[in-house]
Amino acid sequence: MNQTTNAQRSTPKAFASRRLNAEVSASGATSTINHQPSHIIWRIVDFIVAGVFSYAGALKALDPVQFATSIDNYKILPWPVCVALAFYLPWLEILCALGLVFRFFYRGALSILTALIVIFTLATTAAKVRGLDITCGCFGHASQHWSFPAHLATNLAVFAALVVLWVSNRSSKP
Amino acid sequence: MRSSLVWEVLILAALALAPGVGEAIYFRDKISWRSAIAPSEMATLDQTRTWGGNVVWVDARPDDEFAHDHVPGALSLNEDRWNELLPQFLAVWSPGKKIVVYCSSLSCNASREVARRLRNEAQLPDVFVLEGGWEAWLKKNR
Repeated sequence: MNQTTNAQRSTPKAFASRRLNAEVSASGATSTINHQPSHIIWRIVDFIVAGVFSYAGALKALDPVQFATSIDNYKILPWPVCVALAFYLPWLEILCALGLVFRFFYRGALSILTALIVIFTLATTAAKVRGLDITCGCFGHASQHWSFPAHLATNLAVFAALVVLWVSNRSSKP
Repeated sequence: MRSSLVWEVLILAALALAPGVGEAIYFRDKISWRSAIAPSEMATLDQTRTWGGNVVWVDARPDDEFAHDHVPGALSLNEDRWNELLPQFLAVWSPGKKIVVYCSSLSCNASREVARRLRNEAQLPDVFVLEGGWEAWLKKNR
């Protein structure tokens, strides 16, 4: 009798416990379902940014002479530094792009790419302000006929994508 | 966490050096570290002497500097009066002659730009930039 009473008492408790567990797991499942699409979106943004930088890097790595001349046109750095950067920067871009795709040294790659796009944007803007009629050289010969607003819009779009990746990387941390 | 980020940046920056150095070695003959002009587009004073009278000298400096002094027989062709001076130059130039462009010194850009425009816009062959420019010519000849 006692057992029956206990069983009767425990049954609602057990039921409530099971229900609570079910709700928790359900909310957990819902949370996972909510995170997955955003995770896929961040990965797509990773791939887009990586694609932009690896394309730009490859074009410049194929023609370092042209890229050195493009850097020299800004009239900021001496020629030997322009040559050194023309050989180095394209590979840095490609390596960081690979870092985004394969997620190795991810935050390091994001930092470098963000710094690069900020420097490119500032240099292009400074050249425009100084009245230099030059191409940015960001995409090698492919960007030869781009207007200043086109350069700026591309750079700002890439910068915005990098900021999004920074934010997503922070929010995905436990 | 911050130090790991710094390490990541440093490692990536160091890793990118290897292909960069490799490419610099591969392109060593196509680009000069001293000047923006490719070695094949540059001419030294000694080289121009071997060409004898088969040379048209082009002075890419501003008009006042050209008026003050210039290489004997040189023609003025600068970017400020390009449209006006180019026809005068073309009237003197004849096929087979080598064109040697100079500006003030090793660091000036005017000769490079004029040489580039003569090649690309006027479609002229055998256009060279004098290494060291007017300064180098003065040192050897005065």
